[in-house]
Amino acid sequence: MQLAIETLLDGVMQTLREAVLPAVQGRFARGQLFAVLDVLQNLRDRVEPKVALDEAEAVSAGDALARAVQVLGPAGASLADALARAPTSPPAARVAALRAALCQAYTLLDGLPEDVAAPARRTLGEHLSAQAMRDVAILKPSLLQEISKG
Amino acid sequence: MDDQDLVARLEQFLRARLPGEHALRVVRLERSTEGFSQETFSFDVETATERRGFVLKREPLAGLLEPYDLAPEFRVLHALSSDPLPSPPTPWFERDPRVLERPFYVMERLPGDVPVPAPGPDGAGPFDDAERAALAPEVVAALARLHSIDWRAAGLDFLGDPGRGRACAARELQRWDARIAASGMIVEPPLAEALAWLRSHVPSTDAITLVHGDYRLGNFLVTRRPGHARLTGVLDWEMVHLGDPLEDVAWCISPLWRGGTSFASGLLDPEEFVVRWEAATGQPSDPERLHFYGVLAIVKMAAIMLTGLRAFRDGRSRDLRMAIFDHQLPYLYLLFGALRGWIGGF
Repeated sequence: MQLAIETLLDGVMQTLREAVLPAVQGRFARGQLFAVLDVLQNLRDRVEPKVALDEAEAVSAGDALARAVQVLGPAGASLADALARAPTSPPAARVAALRAALCQAYTLLDGLPEDVAAPARRTLGEHLSAQAMRDVAILKPSLLQEISKG
Repeated sequence: MDDQDLVARLEQFLRARLPGEHALRVVRLERSTEGFSQETFSFDVETATERRGFVLKREPLAGLLEPYDLAPEFRVLHALSSDPLPSPPTPWFERDPRVLERPFYVMERLPGDVPVPAPGPDGAGPFDDAERAALAPEVVAALARLHSIDWRAAGLDFLGDPGRGRACAARELQRWDARIAASGMIVEPPLAEALAWLRSHVPSTDAITLVHGDYRLGNFLVTRRPGHARLTGVLDWEMVHLGDPLEDVAWCISPLWRGGTSFASGLLDPEEFVVRWEAATGQPSDPERLHFYGVLAIVKMAAIMLTGLRAFRDGRSRDLRMAIFDHQLPYLYLLFGALRGWIGGF
């Protein structure tokens, strides 16, 4: 996720206060909206991302990068450095470092002959695939149509 | 500026442009909830003899395609105002901030509604079979018409001819790469993988046409009656440029715009769409170029979402539709995986 939970909740509260509340006329609905704001402002400093999610991603990404370094041999030296430099904790910091290493890996692979790069691409692709599934699995059905129509 | 003030200023602006209509009134002003990018207002102009519908687009303070410049979009729409292509006749552009604080243009309101590119609560797509059968040929024909416009003769060379060969695709890739960098948001591995692949697979083309840039379900204005539908307008020209027409084809058939169906823009089988476009334009579609622009389509969407997220994060936009992009990006990554082959069974 790109937005910190605090940033997201601050933005939601500001929009509710400045854009939604003035347009709500019914007294009961206004009262409920104030209650939502009350809940959100007290929730703000009590929530943080689930560590288990970062841990699962870190294990998967770390394993994939290690296998890629192995199959690349000397061509993967810079990748091995990036992997070694990734902090072991906290999990969020490790995930951030491993994601950066994966991005670096794709730039590196692009400069290598395809027969050298292909085995590493496969192993990294397996991680991307598993991670994409993990990311989507925690999402709820989109309300995009309702949001678009208003 | 509240709505009352906006109406007063708009009336003053229009009286200066509609000679003899000193008593005109702006009525039924309504802000659109559909557009994600520019501020869009719909209103009627009432004179002694008639009532006409207009749409006003104003530059937003922040948004998905910032920084904004409405002038190119207006110049294209103005130039196409008498073309058979169903684009809204667009008579006026105003840059002076004293009028409505920010630049805006006014176009005539065409009849119809904009079907939303998302499945309904029952999971159904936006059109039934009869509507698809009627609408699909019109959507393909309008795109072919767009790509056949002599842009030099229409005075649209100000958009910048990208040049033949690889320069055309390279310019588009660079444009979106730069937007991603400008967003300052984190480039996650699936996007990095796609960008690396695009950079090393830039295709060559000699076909340079007008490219709408956002030709897809969600920007089609449609009228419907039972068992029939008609395309009445092609909207949202803010990404218009000169380039490879396959960029529009790839965007329109992208999985981004299936609306809960397996159909390109909810209308017809993607392969069939391409075949019909080839027949309508007389141009072959190179599968490699089409694939490049198919991957680029997802990159474009990622760039748009990252720009919106940045505007929200910085407090420059409090539109919560931008915040939900954080929950849409993982779906884009699935599409990258399917197109780039690192994910199967999609």
